Amino acid sequence: MNKGPVVRTKNGAYKLSLPKDHREVLTHLITQLRDSLLNTTDDASLRRLFPTAYHNDAKKDAEYQRLMREELLASRLSSIEISLSVIARHDELSESEIDAFARSINSLRLVLGTTLDIAESDYGAQNIPNETSTGSVDEKTNSLDIEQDDEEPVQRELYEYLGWILEWTVGAQSEAL
Amino acid sequence: MGYFQLVNARPAEVLEPDVEDATKFDKPWIVIVWNDPINLMSYVTFVFQKLFGYSLEKATELMLDVHHKGRAVVSNGSRERAEFDVYRLHEHGLWATMEHETL
Repeated sequence: MNKGPVVRTKNGAYKLSLPKDHREVLTHLITQLRDSLLNTTDDASLRRLFPTAYHNDAKKDAEYQRLMREELLASRLSSIEISLSVIARHDELSESEIDAFARSINSLRLVLGTTLDIAESDYGAQNIPNETSTGSVDEKTNSLDIEQDDEEPVQRELYEYLGWILEWTVGAQSEAL
Repeated sequence: MGYFQLVNARPAEVLEPDVEDATKFDKPWIVIVWNDPINLMSYVTFVFQKLFGYSLEKATELMLDVHHKGRAVVSNGSRERAEFDVYRLHEHGLWATMEHETL
């Protein structure tokens, strides 16, 4: 039986089961991401959230970005607001709510992974649910600034933790396919 | 208001096709997902299933192509359709681009 932090219930809804300190850390990280998206226009750590669309045509890509970047930003901010609500709740979640949560967790991983300069050689380990990631999140993560380079060990722990959460979320969502 | 809504509601906003578009009119656009070391393999597979309705087997095959070959073509069609698919993939955090299919 699925005993992870995200489960699909018998009636097709979803349930997030996380201790209070985990919820606080996720809220802190997602709030940071929201603030970065609202206040930063060219932060390198955010570049994976706004990828190129036309890789071999700069002119077309500039036009695409002019028309679509704001829409993509609005979509990310909407998912973040839903995710903050999801994390604060203990009742059942809808398909669209768990989907927004998954996309926000993935956005956090993209930002942290970019900051950590995650390489292909790291790929195998981060795709395997890490039992060590299921433990309590250290108190120091509550004061984590994901933009500070000297926090790399904590950032890496959080990166793996987010991967663990996302792995379970995708597993639960896949049951609905 | 989003781009795709603009395209439908206000045709004047659409760029005129350039010469390159005209000469490649009969070729479809392809949407490519590129390998990146951050996205989880399970997540990429799930997104392919969810967005394109692929079976688990097909989605896994495409994900493995992305992982091992560096890229995979996940959809094709008109420029508007390809832009829509690229946007949805970007929404889900995947590194997707589009180009005219080459023979």
